[in-house]
Amino acid sequence: MRRDINPIKKGLRIIIVGCGKVGTTLIEQLVKEGHDITIIDKNPQAVQTMSDLYDIMGLVGNGASYSVQMEAGIEDTDLIIAVTDSDELNLLCCTVARRVGHCSAIARVRTPDYSREVGYLREKLGLAMIINPELEAAKEVARILYLPTALEVNTFAHGQAELIKLIVPENNILDGIAISELSKTIPLNFLICAIERNGEVHIPSGNFVLLKGDLVSFVASRKDTREFLEKIGFKTNRVKNTMIIGGGKAAYYLAKQLINMGISVKIIEKDKERCEELSISLPKAIIINGDGTDEELLHEEGLQYTESFVPLTGIDEENILLTLHAKSISKAKVITKINRITFKDVISKLDLGSVVYPRYITSEAIIAYVRAKKNSMNSNIETLYHMFDSRVEAIEFLVDKTSSITDTPIMDLSLKDNLLISFINRNGSIIIPSGNDCIKTGDTVMIVTTHSGFNDIQDILK
Amino acid sequence: MNNSIIKYILGQVLKFEAVLMLLPCIVAIIYTESEGLCYLITALVCGAFGVIMTAKKPENFVIYLKEGCIATSLSWIFLSFFGCVPFMLTGEIPHLADALFETISGFTTTGASILSDVESLSYTSIFWRSFTHWIGGMGVLVFLLAIIPLSGGSNINLMRAESPGPSVGKLVPKIKYTARLLYIIYFGLTIVEIVLLLLGKMPVFDAITTSFGTAGTGGFGIKNDSLAGYSSYIQWIVTIFMILFGVNFNAFYFILFSRFKKAFAMEEVRYYFIIIFTSIAVIFFNIYSSIKNVADALLHSSFQVASIITTTGYSTVDFDLWPQTSKTILVMLMFIGACAGSTGGGIKVSRFVIMIKTIIKELNSYIHPKSIKKIKMDGKPVEHEVVRAINVYFITFMIIFSVSIFAISFEDKDLITNFTAVTATINNIGPGLGMVGPTCNFGHFNVFSKFVLMFDMLAGRLELFPLLILFHPTAWKDMIEKKIKYSKM
Repeated sequence: MRRDINPIKKGLRIIIVGCGKVGTTLIEQLVKEGHDITIIDKNPQAVQTMSDLYDIMGLVGNGASYSVQMEAGIEDTDLIIAVTDSDELNLLCCTVARRVGHCSAIARVRTPDYSREVGYLREKLGLAMIINPELEAAKEVARILYLPTALEVNTFAHGQAELIKLIVPENNILDGIAISELSKTIPLNFLICAIERNGEVHIPSGNFVLLKGDLVSFVASRKDTREFLEKIGFKTNRVKNTMIIGGGKAAYYLAKQLINMGISVKIIEKDKERCEELSISLPKAIIINGDGTDEELLHEEGLQYTESFVPLTGIDEENILLTLHAKSISKAKVITKINRITFKDVISKLDLGSVVYPRYITSEAIIAYVRAKKNSMNSNIETLYHMFDSRVEAIEFLVDKTSSITDTPIMDLSLKDNLLISFINRNGSIIIPSGNDCIKTGDTVMIVTTHSGFNDIQDILK
Repeated sequence: MNNSIIKYILGQVLKFEAVLMLLPCIVAIIYTESEGLCYLITALVCGAFGVIMTAKKPENFVIYLKEGCIATSLSWIFLSFFGCVPFMLTGEIPHLADALFETISGFTTTGASILSDVESLSYTSIFWRSFTHWIGGMGVLVFLLAIIPLSGGSNINLMRAESPGPSVGKLVPKIKYTARLLYIIYFGLTIVEIVLLLLGKMPVFDAITTSFGTAGTGGFGIKNDSLAGYSSYIQWIVTIFMILFGVNFNAFYFILFSRFKKAFAMEEVRYYFIIIFTSIAVIFFNIYSSIKNVADALLHSSFQVASIITTTGYSTVDFDLWPQTSKTILVMLMFIGACAGSTGGGIKVSRFVIMIKTIIKELNSYIHPKSIKKIKMDGKPVEHEVVRAINVYFITFMIIFSVSIFAISFEDKDLITNFTAVTATINNIGPGLGMVGPTCNFGHFNVFSKFVLMFDMLAGRLELFPLLILFHPTAWKDMIEKKIKYSKM
């Protein structure tokens, strides 16, 4: 290889095409993990800003062009990630790159036209991954609506296990109870894995006492989740109807899923043409042509009586205001989508209910892939979630070979501090481990930790 | 403003200088000279300052452009102050202004000397003097970037402030490796030159110091007659290496990784060679009539052109005695200077290329007033910002240049001397014409003029603005306000 005299190889060589919202988040995260990053964007200003801010190389030009890719060193690149505005450009970018170099390629494809053909596209174009932030965001919203008392619902082990975040209300069973006692009172398989209190995140031990106002994340198998929530006095009925403001791509994906789940959907969209399109693709939904920020219209459409309310406009400020308004006049479950994350500490102080960050969802998926790739191309990370503003990582590992970890009772392993083994998925059944359980080869194991940069299950040892 | 990071960087620079000063100590041991002791003491004091200043790590490692510029220019000033101490301690250059002039001239790779008899210096001091060229050539902070871990991506601003040229590009995505690659190339070329000079039967000490002077495009000779006394083989080797060190280092990077096409496609390097060959040809025919020897005429014209355009400043002949045309060409070359991204000084070939393209564009706009045409360099459009920055650079350069000439005019020296003295210092060349010609030195200027010229040298090396920003009220206000706050506490 030509560039081998090149400095000590540590990270991967990654080319990111497009420095939009997702691109920026990716750059930030991947630089932190020590990769060699080259960015390509048409806008010189954006490239300049990013290369001033981060230790990366910037290139101005069309990322799909052969010569630009050559200049970026595509031949020695390990991974290209195309996240420009245009699906077509992203796909072309990856196709060209696959022909020139030996790199893996990840493309963002958002349009519903293509999203149905993702599998086909991926296979035929030889892509490693096709990401669709809008679809992922819609999925997350749908999961929350399915379990409206939770603030956040993430799934692991192909949907077998759920990671649920909720706030401990006043006078709840959870208020003032130690975790070890809680598991005695409620004989279910669950594990509290992280707690945020006053801005600090704790990975709790058995004698940690919960208090009201704590943000608690727990893991349980899917069938136990509901029961657990009912036991602690949360109602778990899923919502029956929802009101969506804005008829963008995310709204389309969400509506489609909700309709499949039997939830009736009402979409308010400004643009007449878009309304017509939606009414064709979503025949079961009620499409209202009107301004979603118009208070009168919202009342007329029954905002007070709706069970859930999801503003999905492209403007964060509008989404936030709509949520706050809905919170004040109705009892609906509200979910706020935030695209650009600035002033995050201000946002977290507002009572916005559940918050969904599409660009985080996307970058998490990519980072999980990159970490797995870095780890000698041996994909050991199945899923990765950032919890509590990236301060905690929840990672699901595949244990594919025998090692010092396997077949040893967990209490005999010397684990790192601030780390918890949340569940073991053995052939589809979820085991919430006690000290006597062992990890076996073929299991997938979920770890919750405040450390970052874990690549392999071995990293959990001291 | 983030003062603590500036202090931290300054501390690192001092620690680094302390380590470098141990090298002359080794030279002193080899030649059993007592001067080594003075270097050792300075190194210890310098190191102690460095350790104290870096004892407290700054909380915030973010370096914005202003911090980068201020840290860079202060680093160079500190570096020069500590670097001149041994000259005074040994008593070889007793006056502060003289010692400082010599050191700044060394670090900025100017090579203008105030010494009339170089050979009377100890080996230790001669070595240190030449070594400052080598350190200053590629830059101290670039070296720091290569070795110390400064977290955060914003430290490109340090490199931007120190590296010559209108825009700074990275060779590889990480700045640390870019800096390392630059130093590997720099170090490698220096070693090759030393070996080639040794093959020409040059004494080891001479070979090393001469190579340092060439690599940094500095030009401190270790003999009173600079390089005139050496064989023509040695002079040719030095000529070739001077030209090489004036080439944009990106070209070497491309060659190193066998991307020859890209290396030869670099417009700036192409113009650089065109200018060199044209100048050599004109001077050759101009001086041929008086020298009457093809080999000598070719050697002298090539050597002088290479020495001046790369802003090195070695000499093999007294070009002050050459015909007017040749002298004029040399003075013009002084302004043009080497390529951006090399170790050379001057205004830089790429700036001139862009300025000339701007002039052509302006002319065209008189013929087709509504035409739109972007200036291109290496086949890529040049951003308006870059063009603007170059124009402002040139104007600022001219203003500083004129003010400096005015400032040293009080001594009542002739205009050629004053003009070329400023030209030779602000472009980091060394010798000028008249009373500062290749056989003369800068010792006859008074203290005030020396400080003016020192300022010019620093301004030229740091490309004006990083140094000028020290005079911006904000730079002072922030520091002083912090001081007051601390003293109140």
